[in-house]
Amino acid sequence: MKTLKGVPVSSGITIGKVQIIARPKLKIRRKNIRQEQIETELQKFEKCLQAAINEIDQLISLSENIDNRNILNTHKMILRDPEFHKNINKMVAEDLLSLEMAIKNHFSSIIEIFNNIENEYFSQRSSDFEDVAYRLLSKILDKKNDKFAELQDDVILVTENITPSEVTRVFQKKIKALCTEKGSKNSHSSIIARSMNLPTLVSITGLTDNIKNGDDVIVDANEGVLIIKPDESTMHRFRPLWEYEKQERIKLAQLVDEDCITQDGRTINLMSNIEIPAELDQVLKIRSKGIGLFRTEFLFMGHKGLPDEDEQYEIYLHIAEKLYPHPVVIRTIDVGGDKLSQILNIEHELNPNLGTRGIRISLKHIPVFKTQIRAILRANRKGNIRIMFPMISTVGEIINIKNIVQQSRGELLEEGYEFEPDIAIGAMIEIPSAAITSDSIAEECNFLSIGTNDLVQYTLAVDRDNDTVEQYYIPHHPSVLRLIKMTAENCHQHGIKVAICGEMASEKKYIPLLVGLGIDEFSVSPGRLLMVKNEIRKCKYQDVRKMAEDILHYKTYIDVYTRITAKEC
Amino acid sequence: MIRKTIVIVNKLGMHARPATMIVKAASKYRSEFKIRKDNMEINGKSIMGVMTLAAEYGSSLELIADGVDEEYLIDEIAGLFAAKFDEE
Repeated sequence: MKTLKGVPVSSGITIGKVQIIARPKLKIRRKNIRQEQIETELQKFEKCLQAAINEIDQLISLSENIDNRNILNTHKMILRDPEFHKNINKMVAEDLLSLEMAIKNHFSSIIEIFNNIENEYFSQRSSDFEDVAYRLLSKILDKKNDKFAELQDDVILVTENITPSEVTRVFQKKIKALCTEKGSKNSHSSIIARSMNLPTLVSITGLTDNIKNGDDVIVDANEGVLIIKPDESTMHRFRPLWEYEKQERIKLAQLVDEDCITQDGRTINLMSNIEIPAELDQVLKIRSKGIGLFRTEFLFMGHKGLPDEDEQYEIYLHIAEKLYPHPVVIRTIDVGGDKLSQILNIEHELNPNLGTRGIRISLKHIPVFKTQIRAILRANRKGNIRIMFPMISTVGEIINIKNIVQQSRGELLEEGYEFEPDIAIGAMIEIPSAAITSDSIAEECNFLSIGTNDLVQYTLAVDRDNDTVEQYYIPHHPSVLRLIKMTAENCHQHGIKVAICGEMASEKKYIPLLVGLGIDEFSVSPGRLLMVKNEIRKCKYQDVRKMAEDILHYKTYIDVYTRITAKEC
Repeated sequence: MIRKTIVIVNKLGMHARPATMIVKAASKYRSEFKIRKDNMEINGKSIMGVMTLAAEYGSSLELIADGVDEEYLIDEIAGLFAAKFDEE
């Protein structure tokens, strides 16, 4: 028995047999070229080199792990190495080797040097050169063969790394779980795996060295461990958990076509949060009644520059059409200045969370902001798009934004575009000042959406990514609950709906309380949607409203916790 | 042409990250830049060259720069070594 640690991406426990899928071998068939082919060969080198560098840039922009980014920067440097270029030019132009042969020779000789270094710390680095050579050669050989063709049903898939399109592909086959040696929690592949709601572990160090095809394993993606060849007592411990989960999954799958309604008839709009368009398939599959939060950051991250209006328009339109007649709430870009500093020339800030982020970036870079607003307005051809603004701290910002929307709308109509000009405008309530003045903000908006992740962080002055203050991050703190209640009441007084789109909305223990506080719309990750629906369907609105009223008088969060986790509410 | 001898003082030696830092810094300058270790001489603007030196803690290297901005180049590179590549 051997236990490996990994980063859990999508929760769940499963037991099964492993199938390892390795990357395909690259075969070099063409060894030599003729004199007249030299030029095209070298042009091809430049083209493929650029494609490989672009691919690495994309990976860098998606990686939140500094070590990983450092490695990728080294890989980029290997591709730009002047000696490498000299060497390839010589082998192609003088020795008349094919481009693929020249590249293979070049990297083989480096790897050979590393293999002869005695210091293990250095000799390990040959893997960097192997990776780079593979990436470049697969571009040159235009490798598109399907490495998952042999994948069987009901296996636990083990692979070194997986691309977003491959994730979609493997989930169409009935795999039980996904384990990868590389990858990170918020890579696009991980985001898709999460929306598919299948147990997934990434970044499992030593995975491929310790596992063989057909091994029995336990994947515990709740705790982030992979147990290879478990002994009988371990199996005994996990089997009931696995059985329970299987039953739960079957039960939830049956709720796809059921309404999201409490036992006493209060309908809650239940929608999905998405980060990238690739999650759309899953959103449609679980028949989500709309998208309550479409984050648009991905558009700005994987790019060299900013996406232009048409590019954004196409994406928004595609999603709005797929979801019609259900609503799609598009949130304008919400990142810290640190993420966009290269493109927008933003100075380094000591405390980005309290700095120029969210709407503050948009209002500082009006042309960028207007491009996004114009694209969203144009995409509203069928009238099911709503637009939402992040990090609002005062009603003045909303008035300001509405002027910009108004102006953009006028321009677009004058330019002859056809779209539904009336668009619902909403503010994210995630800063305490906005919650406290939500009466004024509600007056200017068509809906409000509470972003609990930031609301908790800013109300309690606790950085949610900082493990040392973890114990202070308490979503059920009375202060947070009062702000939620205040916001809901202010919305209802102004005749508008209040939504919730933070992680709190998909945590089992908070769902009855949030319904009781008067939340009209829940927006959650597609992977959690059916679970949330199940919990809402168990509630009786009269009862949970009474519970919420009681809880609002509680003094400590411990009292709150005791009440919401009690069996009977 | 300037030559300067330095000794590696960071514990992990010149692994991937320091090598990347050296190449990145050196590539900004127009001067030629070579690094010599024992009988091996490599192009200091080449990552594969710098990494294959496999220079460990305590080993001695000769930095050789030749060109219009050679002094600045040597200063910056020697500075990286002295600061132990921000590692310790």
